[in-house]
Amino acid sequence: MADDPAVSLTGVRKTYRVGEPVHALDGVDLSLVDGSYTAVMGPSGSGKSTLMNLVGCLDAPTEGTVTVDGTDVTALSDRERTALRGDEIGFVFQTFNLMPRLTARENVALPLIFQGVDAAERGERADAMLGRMGIGDRGDHRPNELSGGQRQRVAIARALVTDPTLVLADEPTGNLDTETGARILDVFDEAHAAGNTILVVTHERHVAERADRIVHLLDGRIERIERVGRPGSAGAGGPADDEVTG
Amino acid sequence: MRLRESLRLSWRSIRGHKLRSTLTTLGVVIGIAAVITFVTLGVSLEAGILGDVDTGQTNRIYVWGSPAGEGGGPGEDAELIFTQRDVTELRNQSDVAAAYPWTPLPSESLTHGNDTVPIREGVIATGTEYVEADRVADGRRFEEGEREAVINPAAANRFEENVSVGDTVAVAVPGAGEVNATVVGVLETSEGQGPFEGFGEDPRIYLPADPYYLDLASEATDDPRYLSVVVEADDPRDVDAARDSARAYLESDASDAGDYLGGDLELTIQTGGELLEQIQDILDQVTAFVTGIAVISLVVGAIGIANIMLVSVTERTREIGVMKAVGAQNRDVLTLFLTEAVILGVIGAVGGVALGAVGGWAAAEYADLPLTYPLEWFAIAVGVGILVGVVSGLYPAWRAARTDPIDALRYE
Repeated sequence: MADDPAVSLTGVRKTYRVGEPVHALDGVDLSLVDGSYTAVMGPSGSGKSTLMNLVGCLDAPTEGTVTVDGTDVTALSDRERTALRGDEIGFVFQTFNLMPRLTARENVALPLIFQGVDAAERGERADAMLGRMGIGDRGDHRPNELSGGQRQRVAIARALVTDPTLVLADEPTGNLDTETGARILDVFDEAHAAGNTILVVTHERHVAERADRIVHLLDGRIERIERVGRPGSAGAGGPADDEVTG
Repeated sequence: MRLRESLRLSWRSIRGHKLRSTLTTLGVVIGIAAVITFVTLGVSLEAGILGDVDTGQTNRIYVWGSPAGEGGGPGEDAELIFTQRDVTELRNQSDVAAAYPWTPLPSESLTHGNDTVPIREGVIATGTEYVEADRVADGRRFEEGEREAVINPAAANRFEENVSVGDTVAVAVPGAGEVNATVVGVLETSEGQGPFEGFGEDPRIYLPADPYYLDLASEATDDPRYLSVVVEADDPRDVDAARDSARAYLESDASDAGDYLGGDLELTIQTGGELLEQIQDILDQVTAFVTGIAVISLVVGAIGIANIMLVSVTERTREIGVMKAVGAQNRDVLTLFLTEAVILGVIGAVGGVALGAVGGWAAAEYADLPLTYPLEWFAIAVGVGILVGVVSGLYPAWRAARTDPIDALRYE
């Protein structure tokens, strides 16, 4: 994991036409190095969500190119983009977004269903991932039988189970209390240490400070990129988080 | 995604809303149950009536004369017009294998030993061939010219001591006293042997028209006549030819019956096949009517499923968004929702078949018919259930499939 970018955006522009054209993103260049941990901050309306949708292969840019693991997303059909998303992106949402009627194990295994992985292997991989998240004994529980922190761990397990190029987290601690949130951030640290590439979108400074660098967005442009905590070396995972107790 | 996975996931969603799913399928259940009940009843009725008029009897032709233009059932309002000479002559017509009279003997009671039971209908004077040999469970058929009788179980068992082969029974005939007959055969079942007597299980005793009817009638008149004649063709394929030659003879001046025909009386000649068709027609009409009603019910059921599926798609917008985010293709989402609708349809169909089978059983029991299940209709019902599911699920599933994951994930 040298410096070939896992994800890169070049001159990306996204325009919505709701009456007047609105430039949600207005010429963004950004590359996420393999194994890096990046946070995106910015006030609402700054283009955070749009950036996340583009990086997450949920949407295509109006102009410019988005490349994920060497594939130009812009040129893909909806179907190919969905397949790429399933293979290369792991999503973690603020509201967990687990399937309410499926058990924790089945939730973790869900992305593998759409990849055509057979049931036995799905179970094994899901169990292994739940174990790694420290909730190996919760596999048979439904989401409503789990605490908020446990739910988010299930969601992270689901995001990691496909061994994605990028883990994309949208306010992952937004629905959790400070203590639980800090524990979840530890999980991200561990994933980072294990070599996963992570992009966290947040408006909380202490969440963003866990990353290698913080990308500040304002009015659809990158205002500045701030290096924090760990010195550049990806995957080192040094304990530089003095603000947060974990 | 494999079919097994979508079945499993869809089944999970259905089970998640047990009450709602149950209510949703009710429309289909009721529709299918109505059809199955009535078709079962129809088929059982058919079996009850037509089972007797089986292939062995499709070579029979029933002949009677009744007032013109009334067109009732077999033998209805029939007059006594056929002589023994007519019957004998009919036997000589081309394509005719057998001809024999059929006429009820007026009677009051039946005596066996010291035991007497009343019998007003059911003493029938006819020819040997009228009782088919393979329907005699015990003994043999009577012979013409002999004082013999064949009795059915319903009549035989009315006495304290059952009548069996070799016993003598006495029939009390109004105005003529008692006539004796030796029982030479007991039938297997008590169902009627032909359309003139109806097909219910009633006590009946069959006697040769010669001597019983001829002797009795001769005492009252110089010119004894029969109520009706049964003509048999050699082969079911020759039935039409036999019917034509029988009609040609009876309507000619050569026949005794011909004297009465023309004017007020009209000759009716029906083959066993034609009788079958008539009954079949009535049953088909009833079935068509009930099916019509059931189709309405199924349409309502389908709308119910479509409605609940649309609600379900809206409710689960976020889940759809998550599935798409983790790599579900439009096709996968479409399959999931379509599978769910089809499962609902099939559950409705299977439930309907079960309910209809019970309903059909109850109806057959009530109407005292032999229960016969129309198995092909059970299969058709499940097919219809699948069809209802597909039709009602298609639009909701399509809506689900084209949900934009970005909007869906933001959906509250």
